[in-house]
Amino acid sequence: MPSLKSGLAVAIVALAGAAPLAGQSHARDVLVIVTGQQATMPIPTFMEGPANLTANADVADQLFLRLAELPKDLITTDERRFVPALAKSWTRRDSLTLVFDLDPRARWHDGRPVTAQDVVFTFQRARNPEIAPKLAGLLKHVTGVTAEGERRVVFRFDRVYAEQFYDATFNVEPIPAHLVPAAATVASPPVAFVQHPIGDGPYRWVRSVPGQFIELEANPEFSLGAPKIKRLFFRTAPETDTRINLLLSGEADATDNISTPLANVARVSAVPELRILPLPSPQLGYLLFNQRDRADRSKPHPILSDVNVRRAIALGLDRYAIVRAVFGQYAEVPYGPASQVLGIRRGSPKPAGRDTAQARRLLTKAGWFDHDGDGVLDRDGRPLELALNFPLTSEIRKQISLQVQEQLRPLGIRIDPVRLEGPVWIERRSRGDFDIDFSSATQDPTPSGLTQSWSCQGGTNVARYCDPVVDSLLDRAIAMPTGSAPLWQEILRRIEASQPAIFIYAPSFIYVVSRRFSNVVIRPESSWLLVRQWSIR
Amino acid sequence: MSRWLLGRVAQALATLVLVTVLLFFLMRLAPGDPLGQLTEERQYTPDQLATLRRLYQMDQPVSRQFVNWAGALLHGNLGPSFSFHRPVTALIAERLPATLLLGGTVLVINFTLGLWLGALQAARRGTPIDRGLTTLSLAGFAMPSFWLALMLAWLVAIRWRLLPAAGMENPLLEPDAGAWTRGLDVLGHLILPAATLVIVSIAVTMRYQRRAMLEVLPLPYIVAARAKGLSEGAVRRRHAWRNALFPVLTLVGLWLPILATGSVFVEAVFAWPGLGSLAAEAIGRRDYPLLMGTGMLVSALVIGGGLLTDVAYAVLDPRVRWS
Repeated sequence: MPSLKSGLAVAIVALAGAAPLAGQSHARDVLVIVTGQQATMPIPTFMEGPANLTANADVADQLFLRLAELPKDLITTDERRFVPALAKSWTRRDSLTLVFDLDPRARWHDGRPVTAQDVVFTFQRARNPEIAPKLAGLLKHVTGVTAEGERRVVFRFDRVYAEQFYDATFNVEPIPAHLVPAAATVASPPVAFVQHPIGDGPYRWVRSVPGQFIELEANPEFSLGAPKIKRLFFRTAPETDTRINLLLSGEADATDNISTPLANVARVSAVPELRILPLPSPQLGYLLFNQRDRADRSKPHPILSDVNVRRAIALGLDRYAIVRAVFGQYAEVPYGPASQVLGIRRGSPKPAGRDTAQARRLLTKAGWFDHDGDGVLDRDGRPLELALNFPLTSEIRKQISLQVQEQLRPLGIRIDPVRLEGPVWIERRSRGDFDIDFSSATQDPTPSGLTQSWSCQGGTNVARYCDPVVDSLLDRAIAMPTGSAPLWQEILRRIEASQPAIFIYAPSFIYVVSRRFSNVVIRPESSWLLVRQWSIR
Repeated sequence: MSRWLLGRVAQALATLVLVTVLLFFLMRLAPGDPLGQLTEERQYTPDQLATLRRLYQMDQPVSRQFVNWAGALLHGNLGPSFSFHRPVTALIAERLPATLLLGGTVLVINFTLGLWLGALQAARRGTPIDRGLTTLSLAGFAMPSFWLALMLAWLVAIRWRLLPAAGMENPLLEPDAGAWTRGLDVLGHLILPAATLVIVSIAVTMRYQRRAMLEVLPLPYIVAARAKGLSEGAVRRRHAWRNALFPVLTLVGLWLPILATGSVFVEAVFAWPGLGSLAAEAIGRRDYPLLMGTGMLVSALVIGGGLLTDVAYAVLDPRVRWS
C-alpha cells in the first residue's frame, strides 16, 4: 500500500517549490489585462460572424491603426473634432468627397510603409458583402475608395449625411495588402497571418497561448510615438470571480468590466492597490414588446399590440428602484433606446417613474378587468398573462425579471419569466416567438444604428415595431450634416411615447486598474485603445 | 480469447459510429445554431446571416453536411471550429495535455491515496479513524466543486499568496526560463485545481475500497492466511487488498472520460485551459465541428473505458470467462 507519509512529503516539497512563483510581482513596463474571452481573429475585415467579438476588437485596436480616432466627447458628426491617427490630415473636395493624407511615418510591423493602396485594398474587402457582410452594411453609403499616389486616399459617398467621416474612419482599420489574400474570408482565413498578424499599431504580436493569454510588445517604430508600457498581455478568464481573483492576487493589473453582483465591486474596492473606474458603456437592456402574434406573425399581438397596455406595463414598473437594486450607482434609466455612449441622449427628459393609478386607468380603458376575481385581469376570457424570455446565462436579467414579475402582480398582470438556454432564446427571439423579450444590445457610438431595430424595415426589428413618422425622422436626422439634435430628441420622444419597449438600464462598465499606472485613459468605444499613452508610476 | 476480444472491439467501434451519427443529427435538431448566436448583442440582419451561412456552408441540407463532414473525417480532418477559426484537431491537441495533466494527477492521487485510506478504514472498522475519515471524505464529496475551488483560491492564492489564483502558466515567465522553472510554474498552477477535484471525488474511491475490503476480510482464505501465522499487515496487503481491487476496476473505467473532460466548473474557476472548458464553450456557442470533436472524444473514452474494464476483469479474475 502506498505510504501516506511519503505522499505528504511529496506534496510539501511541491508546495515549497512552487510557492515562490505565486503572486509574482509584475516586472516594470508590463501590463496584464484580464478579460473574459480570448481573441481568436483580431484582424479587421475578418471580425465577422463568430469572430465579431469584443475580445478580437480589443486586440485589433493594439495591432492596427484607424485613419482617425473618435473625439473625446464621442460626437460622430463633426469631422473637425476627430483625432488624426494613420491619416495626418484630411480635406473635403465637395459634400460627397473626403480626402485623407496618410502619415508618411506609418510602417507595417514588417518594416514596409503603409500606403494608400493598403487602405483601398481594405475598403474593397470591407465593402464586399460576400467577404464582410456586417461591414458592408455599415459602409453602404461609401461608393468608392481610390488612391492618388502613395499617400492620398479619396472616399466618395452616394449621399450627403453627417457621419460620412465616421463611416470612413471608425468601422475598419487598414490591413496590409501584401500579406492578406484579397478573397480570404472569416470562414477561410489566411492561416499564417492569423497566427501572427502584422499591423501598423502601437503594439506588435508576440505569441498566443491558447486558452490562456496573448502577448504583445511595444512597437518602437509606431508612427504616433512608442508606447511606454513595453509588454502587454491579454489574459483569459471566463468567470468574473476568476478575473477578480487574478486582480486581488496581483497576477493581473486591469480588467474591463466587473459585473454585478455589487459585492464584486466591494471586494475590489477594499484593495488599496486597485482603483475602480466606472465609464459609459454601449450597452442597453430593455423589455421588448412583440407587436405581432407569436403564433401567427400576420396578426397583431392579442395583448401587446395595444399601446395602452404597453404604457400601463411601463408605468407599473419602478425602473429606478430596479436599477438601484441591481446596479447601485453604476447604471442609469435610459430615455428611449440610447445607451450612455450615444451623444443624442444629452438633453433628454427624465424617464417616467412608477404611476400605478395611471397604469390601472389605462388598463381599464383597454377593457381589462378582473372578472373572475383571481387577481389577474382578463378580457374576453383571456387573462393578462405574458411570458418574459431571457437567457439563463444572464444573472442581471434574471434578477430584473423577477422584480418585474413582483411589481406588476398588484396591477393584475401576470408575468411568467422564462429562462432559456442562450441559443434557444436567440432562436425564439429571431423567429418572433415571444411576448416580451429581455433584450440587451451593444450600440455603436453612432445614432444611425437605431434604424436597425427601431425602423419599420430595420434588419433586426424582430418585434415588428413600425412608426412611419419615426422612419421619416430617422432619415432626416441621419442626412442632416449639422443641427440634427432636435430631430434625434423627437425620435427618442416618439419611441418612448409609443412604448415598443421598456428601456430599463444603461449601465456603466466598471473597469479596474492597478494604481501602478498613470495617464490612464479608457475609451467607451474601445476600452484599451489608448493603453499606448499609459505609463508606470 | 482473441475472438472474444475482436468481437468486443468491433462492438465498441460500432457503438462509437452510432453515437457519432446520432450526435451529428441530434445537434442540428436542437434549437439554435452557431450563426444565430450573433443576433444577441451585435445584431445581424437576415441577409447578413444568410451570407455567413453560405460562407460556412451551413445553407446546405443536413444530409449533405453529414456526407462532407464524414468524408473529411475519414481523412482525419474534423473541420475548422466556427468560433476559434482553427482546425478542431489542432484545438483538441492543444488542450489535451492540460486536461491529461490535471485529470491524470487527480486519477493517480485518487487511486493511491483513496485506496490506501479505504483499506485503512476497513482495517480499523468502527474506530475513530474510520469514522473520522468517513466524515471528512463525505464532507468533501458533499461540497460543490466550484464553491470549494473559490474558497481555496481565496485562502491560498489571495490571502496567503502561496500559489497562483488561475491559469496554467505565468505569462510573465521569461521566454528563456529553463525547463525546471517552467515545470515548477505549471506545478504551482496545478495544485489548487487538482486538490479541489481530489477533495470532492476521493470519497467514492475510499468507500468502494472500504466496502470491498470488508467483504473480503471475513472470507475463509483470509482466515487460512492468518492461521498460517502471517502478520496482520501481510494478510491485508498480500491477500485481502489484491482481491478487493476488482470492484475498483469498474471505477477506473468510469473515471477515464473524466480524465479527458476534466471538471468544467473547476476548469472555469481556475481558468485551466483544458478540454472541459473547450467543450462547454462549444456547447454554448453551438460550434458544431468542435462539439463533434469533443463529443467523439468523450464517447470514445466512455466506450474505451468500458472495454478496458471488461478486458481487465477477464485478465485478472479467473472466474470471468472469455466468452
